[in-house]
Amino acid sequence: MLQSIRNFISYWYFRYLLVTELYMVEKWERTMFHIVLFIVLSVLYIFNTTIMLSLVKLLTSNLFHGGDTLQRDKLVPVMQNSEL
Amino acid sequence: MSGATLEAELYESSSKFLNGDVLASDKEIQHLKKTNGYRQDKYLNGHTLGHKPVERQKRTREVKEHFEPPTLIVAIMTHISFYILMFLGYLSQMLFPPKVIKETNRDGYRPMFDRFTAFYLRYVYRRIKDCWNYPICSVPGSEVVLKERVTNDNGWTFQFTGSKRKCLNLASYNYLGFSENTGPCSEHAIASLYKYGVTTGGTRQQNGTCEIHRQLERLMAEFLGVEDAITFGMGFATNALNIPALIAPGCLVISDEKNHASLIVGIRLSGATVKVFRHNNMKHLEKVLQEAIYYGQPKCATHTPWKKIVIIVEGVYSMEGTIVHLPQVIALKKKYKAYLYLDEAHSIGAMGRRGGGVVDYFGCDPKDIDILMGTFTKSFGSHGGYIAGTKEFISYLRQHSFASAHAWAMAPPLAAQIVSVLETLMGRDGTDEGRRRIEQLARNTRYVRLRLEQIGVIIHGCDDSPVVPILVYLYSKIAAMVRILIEHRIATVGVGYPATPLTQGRIRICLSAAHTKEQLDYALDVIEKVADELGLKYSRRPRDLTPIDYHKIKVYTEESL
Ligand SMILES: Cc1ncc(COP(=O)(O)O)c(C=O)c1O
Repeated sequence: MLQSIRNFISYWYFRYLLVTELYMVEKWERTMFHIVLFIVLSVLYIFNTTIMLSLVKLLTSNLFHGGDTLQRDKLVPVMQNSEL
Repeated sequence: MSGATLEAELYESSSKFLNGDVLASDKEIQHLKKTNGYRQDKYLNGHTLGHKPVERQKRTREVKEHFEPPTLIVAIMTHISFYILMFLGYLSQMLFPPKVIKETNRDGYRPMFDRFTAFYLRYVYRRIKDCWNYPICSVPGSEVVLKERVTNDNGWTFQFTGSKRKCLNLASYNYLGFSENTGPCSEHAIASLYKYGVTTGGTRQQNGTCEIHRQLERLMAEFLGVEDAITFGMGFATNALNIPALIAPGCLVISDEKNHASLIVGIRLSGATVKVFRHNNMKHLEKVLQEAIYYGQPKCATHTPWKKIVIIVEGVYSMEGTIVHLPQVIALKKKYKAYLYLDEAHSIGAMGRRGGGVVDYFGCDPKDIDILMGTFTKSFGSHGGYIAGTKEFISYLRQHSFASAHAWAMAPPLAAQIVSVLETLMGRDGTDEGRRRIEQLARNTRYVRLRLEQIGVIIHGCDDSPVVPILVYLYSKIAAMVRILIEHRIATVGVGYPATPLTQGRIRICLSAAHTKEQLDYALDVIEKVADELGLKYSRRPRDLTPIDYHKIKVYTEESL
């Protein structure tokens, strides 16, 4: 059972290496690539969760949480028009 | 410019070059016009002397061409992984500069060697170099013995292990299986050694011509059904050195996109203008021809016609496995009065009921093709090249070609090998061996192509072409496949950039008449297994899984047309 899972993982790791051309590079290059990939992805993650998310929150909070009477006023005539 | 004057001008300009006789006096031209069957109203096919107008071919073949583009996701993945490879290559070049010879004290000079080529060879090709340039130590017949080697530094250097490995040979251009060291052909070659020696020691024009060359040329002309032929010691040089003898600046060459390097070298040497048409695309060829005739030479006074227009195509394209649409090319050539140069390197011997190349395969008239070129390196198990055509044309080449004036004549044993192969193919040796081989090759080809289609890999080319490229796209997959197949004792060739576009790597299988069904079955079973393992079943076409009976495959009978 354990063996078959290990086989499965090693086979698909091999397939992954094939389609990314990592199969033919040296070991340290493979490791290097994975480290670089990991760094890029984690930087992206941090960027998204901290900066992007707060920015998006700031910009769109009005849309979702109302509080602004002006916006509601604008919506009303539109509703009436569509009923007509 | 009206059509009539255009045609007249074309005729005038081409008649000057008839038989390459540039300085022909008016009188001679008049004479040629007469022998040409030249008629003012209908100028038919006048470039070949003494040749009747050709009726429509009864036996035309429909060539079925397989081409399956990769799915979008495969194409995208191929590109991304190529960039990964480049990134890692540049990274490792930067961190560990290669220990190769560097030019020093060269301040201010540009590097001598092309940067990208050097980079490509060191950081892409070097990593999988063990899949190519295998040293062999046997005749490359249906089986070949590879000398094993190992590398301890990722492909920079190799050491022999001393062991050998006998492999099924799917890598050689040994189409008819004449690459043997026993049998009547090699015996004839050996016997000629005692008569003529190893080499001629001279060019064809100076001391190099032996009786056997003449015999070979007569036989070749007869085999091809033309008037005369000339042979050279090397196939590449046949193209590279004869094209400049035929074409000069002011001529237009219309060349297929996938033409072999030797043709391209020849065209460049000649200094003619080149227009390239899309691979095997007759519509595009016609468009290029029309434009050439409408607009004439761009740099001259308005509408100066081209001195002559030459279409250069190959019979079987060795990287694509496709066959030229010869009947259509001939029709276009006649319509627009262009010359046709056909390179039959891979098709002579391998195609057609008599082994006469694509001309024979399509049942065309060999006299419709102005310049028939081919090599002896493939099907004939020898070396060298030939050009065949009309008597006048060949005499012109004998005098004016660089290859006949400055390149050594073909070695007599090689010529003897070709002579006996030709005799076998023509049935002059009193056996049925030639026909048997041609049919075996055709049957093997059909069988392997049908089976590969069932397996679900993408193969390119026509049903009858003995070169079968299996698309695998990625370098890693080329390397993995070649390595695994050698593990299983099958030798194949991987092809990548620069022989193919960057992201269209492929494994090429060359079939041979020497392969038996058992060998092919073994190879196909292994390929099926490997294709599953590596994920090569890219084809999205529906498959027909009815088992194929090898012995019932019809080749060169009326039904197989
Ligand atoms: C189309 C074509 N022409 C010419 C040649 C050159 O022939 P050779 O190998 O005999 O020099 C080749 C060889 O690969 C070829 O494929």
